[in-house]
Amino acid sequence: MRCSPRRSGEKVAGYRTRYDHARSRSAQAVNSVNSSTASRPNDTIAAIATPPGGGLRGVIRVSGPRARELVRAVWHGGTRPELSRRALLEGRFDDGRGTLPLLLLWMPGPRSFTREDVAEFHLPGHPALLQSAVARLLSAGARLAEPGEFTRRAFHAGRIDLTRAEGVLALVFATNESQARAARALLFGGLEARVQAARAALVDARTLVEASLDFDENDTGHVPQGEIEAVLHTAAAALEQAQEFEAQRAPERGLARVVLCGAPNAGKSALFNRLLGRDEALVSAHAGTTRDALEGTLELAGATATLRDTAGFDAGAAGPDRAAQRIAERSRADADLVVWVVDAARAQQAALADERAALDSAQVLLVWHKADLRPGPPPDWTRELGCARILPVSSLTGAGVDALRSALDELLSGGQGGLGRETFLRHTRALAQAQTELETALLSLRAGLALELVAEDLRRATDALDEVSGATAPEDVLDRIFARFCLGK
Amino acid sequence: MESPSHHHPHPRGVRTDFDVLVVGGGHAGIEAVLAAARVGARAALASLRLDRIGEMSCNPAIGGLGKGQIVREIDALGGAMGRIADATGIQFKVLNTGKGHAVRGPRCQSDRHLYRDAVTAYVADTANVTLIEGAAVGLVIEDGAVVGVRFEDGRSVRAASVVITTGTFLRAVMHTGEATTAGGRVGEATSEGISADLVRLGLKLGRLKTGTPPRLARDSIDFSGLEPQAGDAQPKPFSAWTDRARFPLLPQIECHITWTNARTHEFIRANIHHSPMYSGRIQGVGPRYCPSVEDKVMRFADKERHQVFLEPESLSTDVVYVNGVSTSLPADVQEAMVHTIQGLERARFLRHGYAVEYDFVEPNQLSDTLAVKRAPGLYLAGQINGTSGYEEAGGQGLLAGANAALWALGHSAFVLGRHEAYIGVMVDDLVVSNPTEPYRMFTSRAEHRLLLRSDNAEQRLVRRAHAIGLVQKDALALLESVEASKQRALAVLASLRENGKRLDELMLRPNESWATLAARHAPLRELALPESITEALETDIKYSGYVERQEENVARTLRQQSIEIPADLDYRSLTGLANEAKDKLARLRPRTLGHAARISGVRPPDVALLAVHVERRRREGQHSSGPGDPTKSAS
Repeated sequence: MRCSPRRSGEKVAGYRTRYDHARSRSAQAVNSVNSSTASRPNDTIAAIATPPGGGLRGVIRVSGPRARELVRAVWHGGTRPELSRRALLEGRFDDGRGTLPLLLLWMPGPRSFTREDVAEFHLPGHPALLQSAVARLLSAGARLAEPGEFTRRAFHAGRIDLTRAEGVLALVFATNESQARAARALLFGGLEARVQAARAALVDARTLVEASLDFDENDTGHVPQGEIEAVLHTAAAALEQAQEFEAQRAPERGLARVVLCGAPNAGKSALFNRLLGRDEALVSAHAGTTRDALEGTLELAGATATLRDTAGFDAGAAGPDRAAQRIAERSRADADLVVWVVDAARAQQAALADERAALDSAQVLLVWHKADLRPGPPPDWTRELGCARILPVSSLTGAGVDALRSALDELLSGGQGGLGRETFLRHTRALAQAQTELETALLSLRAGLALELVAEDLRRATDALDEVSGATAPEDVLDRIFARFCLGK
Repeated sequence: MESPSHHHPHPRGVRTDFDVLVVGGGHAGIEAVLAAARVGARAALASLRLDRIGEMSCNPAIGGLGKGQIVREIDALGGAMGRIADATGIQFKVLNTGKGHAVRGPRCQSDRHLYRDAVTAYVADTANVTLIEGAAVGLVIEDGAVVGVRFEDGRSVRAASVVITTGTFLRAVMHTGEATTAGGRVGEATSEGISADLVRLGLKLGRLKTGTPPRLARDSIDFSGLEPQAGDAQPKPFSAWTDRARFPLLPQIECHITWTNARTHEFIRANIHHSPMYSGRIQGVGPRYCPSVEDKVMRFADKERHQVFLEPESLSTDVVYVNGVSTSLPADVQEAMVHTIQGLERARFLRHGYAVEYDFVEPNQLSDTLAVKRAPGLYLAGQINGTSGYEEAGGQGLLAGANAALWALGHSAFVLGRHEAYIGVMVDDLVVSNPTEPYRMFTSRAEHRLLLRSDNAEQRLVRRAHAIGLVQKDALALLESVEASKQRALAVLASLRENGKRLDELMLRPNESWATLAARHAPLRELALPESITEALETDIKYSGYVERQEENVARTLRQQSIEIPADLDYRSLTGLANEAKDKLARLRPRTLGHAARISGVRPPDVALLAVHVERRRREGQHSSGPGDPTKSAS
């Protein structure tokens, strides 16, 4: 709602006329009618919080002002649940068609993650049952949560700062153990605590400098330079700790990693060359030509990645081939994205299901390769292989290569690995910026530059730190971060 | 008083005696009526006593840290404070010279009587200004709009807009020990009716206090053992219009420094129960930055002594202002306390110190033109808005007076941004939050401090002032000639080299200045530039990197912070907002996200949530509104 004449690029301090005011008032009146249908932060939201697929237990999380009402609506049996305080209750969930054994975790606001009333329904982990339970909650007045909405509410409720919100996100999307470890460190506020310590020291320093600036040399507020310098050193030390922490946490410093894998002679190397636009990998019609992993840099519109070609799957390999298999496995484990190359002409459902199972849980893009040899869309059963995308490609004709590139771009710049790196880069950049400003401040102080210039350096250092904790992060960054949260987390 | 018979037709169709009527002849009222007249309005100033216009109720000094910059801004906007201070100053001193160009605070002590006389003459000589003597007892309110002022003698004066600048006179109570008197300044009446009318308009009032120290007779002070303090050897005037050749006009005086001591402190502690602050008789909150001597002793118990400045108030009287011992202790206790101080052992009291408690209007009820949001035609400026200081009052008065006139004449409003002027910082601070102590300017309030220097006030403001008639062509010409001189000097600097390095590059070194370079290079000396220009030029060059970065910063925050919050936003319906933030936002109703972010108690996550909500509403508005709506098409 930007109905002020300022939107025309005029400065904030520009002129405004009463007519403009009147016009903006009428525009606001129009808008207030429209917005009555969408007071979204007020909704009570619900979503399945456990990963998709069967598990022993499934959890549905509900948060919002109507959570209490919803619990009562689905609670089966004569006794009313006691919801006056935080509680773990056993009962049955009535989904309208039958009842399910229920373990209810009740967390009334504000002592909850979102500061709202929160209910966690622990139910049998069968997907269909969980779906039906969610449907029941929706019909009773809940709204399906948007991706990341729970965490967003927690962030807005001041429960977590941005680094911890990012930690939740990174943990959800962690594709390997090192990423998960890094995410956990964030989640538990490791960086937050260190940034806050550095910030507190900086604010101390600024307080001294500002006090010194706003009182005359002869006045009681004047602070000697040595005292200011000492506090600046404390701030620098705290900042260094935050940087060290972030450096240790960093799962990878380089580019996103994309790994090509697949059965021998599926055409991985040909695809590798196609994607890189060169002739590097030794290509031959004989299976098993690629033994060592080959690497190249893949430039996409929104992301840059290392592309690694690996030896074809060979469960029975021995000797140097066995070593090549181990390298390939390790590459896949560290990958942000695995491109699984499947020979369309020879594809069989059972064999591919086995290959897919061996790829663990990493994010997989299926290339329906040599599509020129088998025209038509990939068969329906390929959709059951649990891949993020399925794309028909021919390295021979080049058909589908552009679509593959844009899919890679999308997954890498928008996906889990890309975000982990984006987060890391955001932190390191901001911390480095803060350190540069702080060092400048110290140098300026020692060089005898005007104290007001030192003050300016310190203000900028604080701004940089605030960017890490999300205090001054522009809203579009927040939007991008929160939009990537897994549903229900 | 003018006869109100000759009603003029008004642009809004109302018949009025004046376009703008200013109530109160203090520093805010003076700048207000002068600004209104400059903008082209028929302006009038009403004061209890026309011989008390421009009275310096407290310290007879103008400027200082953070305040000197405001005086320079008032001058660049065509106001009177700078030139009157220059004409009546008896000591000029730039404070804080060692800490950088932006935090330098030019200050002068004026002869309080000459200041008052000069202001009175200046206002009387201004075309378009009518003076009215009389006690204003209330507002004329019609259909919720303020259309005039009622006076004690029963007469009413009608005006298109009214500016109230009554300072500490609203329901004022003076305390000297256990004795209390009604009144805002010794010997003057208080103004109850206007307070009542403001409440009737639905305005929320708060209560503050301020204090003033005793005045002593000069011939009773023993200066022999005291450290004298002179002004600057080369005094600098505030105003661009002051004739440098004949400056300073008046003989310059010395002040003296003395100190409180253990005996003083002991005495205060023993008598603290007599202090109205400590006995609870004063409820208003006093300023932390200018504490009473009682406060200094009680709060900073580890300090062995506090500085006291003895400042002569006038060339023609022997009144000495005792800067540093503001007090509201009983008269006899004050005397005994002051007599413990070196040099003041036999000091004779001409007037005792006292504390004043007064009403102020919570300024978040004002817009950034200082107009009262809920009462069209009413403007407030000065201490009534919870500020302290002549400079703060003058700056607000100028802005309120100009806007009252622009409004009355049907023109666009004049708003100063935080990046343009300390006046802009002050008004913005006032309208987004409520002062919990009298608001005084500090340079640290200005995040763009390096841009808001006293040396570049004209560059920042003259063109904007000229656009609405606050200053005339001569001011523009003066600015252009200064800018041309700077350009010429810059060209000369860039054309000369020393060991292969250009002089403008050399100037970046901490140990170089215009003076050091001019000493070595004749072409610089030949330019024969006044120090005011060379100093500004030097700052421009030395600070260029920082200034550029601040300018980038300004551009970025302007984009982000100028996003408007719908006026009808129901904060209580937003979950996720912390309760404190919810309360404050609902009460203060910030106009933009920038305002919201600066309210204390509103934390970044709250602002982020607000931003999401505002953006969402904007998008929904776009989707559902017709294409013909002009307010959305450009969003």
